Amino acid sequence: MIPETSPSDHDHDHDHAHDDHAPVVEGRPGYYDMMETAVRELFIEKGLITAGDIRRQIEVLDSRSPALGAAVVAKAWTDAAFRSRLLENGRRACEELGISFYDDTDLIVLENTETVHNLIVCTLCSCYPRPVLGLPPDWYKLKPYRSRAVVEPRKVLAEFGTVIPEDVEIRVSDSTATVRFLVLPCRPEGTDGWSEDRLASLVTRDAMIGVIPVTLPQEASR
Amino acid sequence: MSIPDFVTRLPNDIGGLDAGPFQRVEHPLEPWEKRCHALADVLDLRKVINTEEKRKGVEALGEGLIAKLPYYERWIVTFANIAFTKHFFTPTELADKMTEVEARFTGELA
Amino acid sequence: MATVFERVVTATGEKPAFAPGDRVKVGTRSPIGHYRVPQYLRGQTGEVLKVIEPSLIDNEEEGYGRNAGNRRHYYRISVPMPSLWPGYEGSPRDELQIEVYETWLERAA
Repeated sequence: MIPETSPSDHDHDHDHAHDDHAPVVEGRPGYYDMMETAVRELFIEKGLITAGDIRRQIEVLDSRSPALGAAVVAKAWTDAAFRSRLLENGRRACEELGISFYDDTDLIVLENTETVHNLIVCTLCSCYPRPVLGLPPDWYKLKPYRSRAVVEPRKVLAEFGTVIPEDVEIRVSDSTATVRFLVLPCRPEGTDGWSEDRLASLVTRDAMIGVIPVTLPQEASR
Repeated sequence: MSIPDFVTRLPNDIGGLDAGPFQRVEHPLEPWEKRCHALADVLDLRKVINTEEKRKGVEALGEGLIAKLPYYERWIVTFANIAFTKHFFTPTELADKMTEVEARFTGELA
Repeated sequence: MATVFERVVTATGEKPAFAPGDRVKVGTRSPIGHYRVPQYLRGQTGEVLKVIEPSLIDNEEEGYGRNAGNRRHYYRISVPMPSLWPGYEGSPRDELQIEVYETWLERAA
């Protein structure tokens, strides 16, 4: 069998920010697609895992998205007691709401304030708060973001259109093992009296990674 | 004592190294990519191949392959390599299974 | 006079060696094999922010397929950006926060 997505098909080199996924070939599944099926079926045949395990885990993954994180943030903005529990122990506070930590990770919630801006990265691989945000975007897993976020966070933020004043301290958190991070962004002004649902609709995945602030729709389009 | 960086630095240990500008690329996962992610989670959950073994296995692909293979392609190749090392199945079993999988599709399309 | 409770002796490594506020230095050693302490952090001095509980399996062992084994105390530390990166552009108060196992830390002045 000839690999349909052999390395030579891509012009990838290490410094180039490619899409990080293979082009889709119509009809027959690609080489790695078939390898995934074969590897999975062998693990199942050997009795090491079950097909039910996989089906269940796909449902788990499908149930996790930035909507969960946004709801957590909105609750923290409107419920001071929850906010302090969330900052004290992120995982326990999320579990309180029914968000399970299936991957056995811990969660530290980092609060942005008028004087502190947090940014999260995983320089060594792609650690990410999957239980509350779902799977990370490609750019988070690619070399440019991982290499640069720890050494020139202000430049990286500027490339997202986020300019942090000099007098605001930047804290970059690099994830290396079992602890994951979620940024609690600043609540935008002009949202007094808003419901949790309405507030949650403002909170984006990128704001919870710390690369952009949460803004009101009219601000974003200005 | 100076130790050559290429011996001691893992290929994915790139924090602070030179890198070009980034693009805000993202794509919805292909079905097989999502299945591969679920497989990784289940292998860790059942402690067949834990997450740290997977990380180590990806590093073991070396800089060349890491650069050439996209994300989930690295994972599935790594799982196969670790499965051989831990005697879960052999390269021949995988080759035979892949032929079988391919036949399902060529059969369908014929 | 110490109470019976106060006279309890803990085993080697049972209690964390460092506490929040302690100054610590990250090891400069360069092993081959699997690690999760980025090269840029080696030899750096920082401050312990938090002890991550409970202690965890050493990920340098876990990487080789051990699902049980030595559990290590694990710390969140902060390091000032300007000391990590010569010529760092930004506020002198910018910092990096990262988790490191006790095996990689020593007490700093």
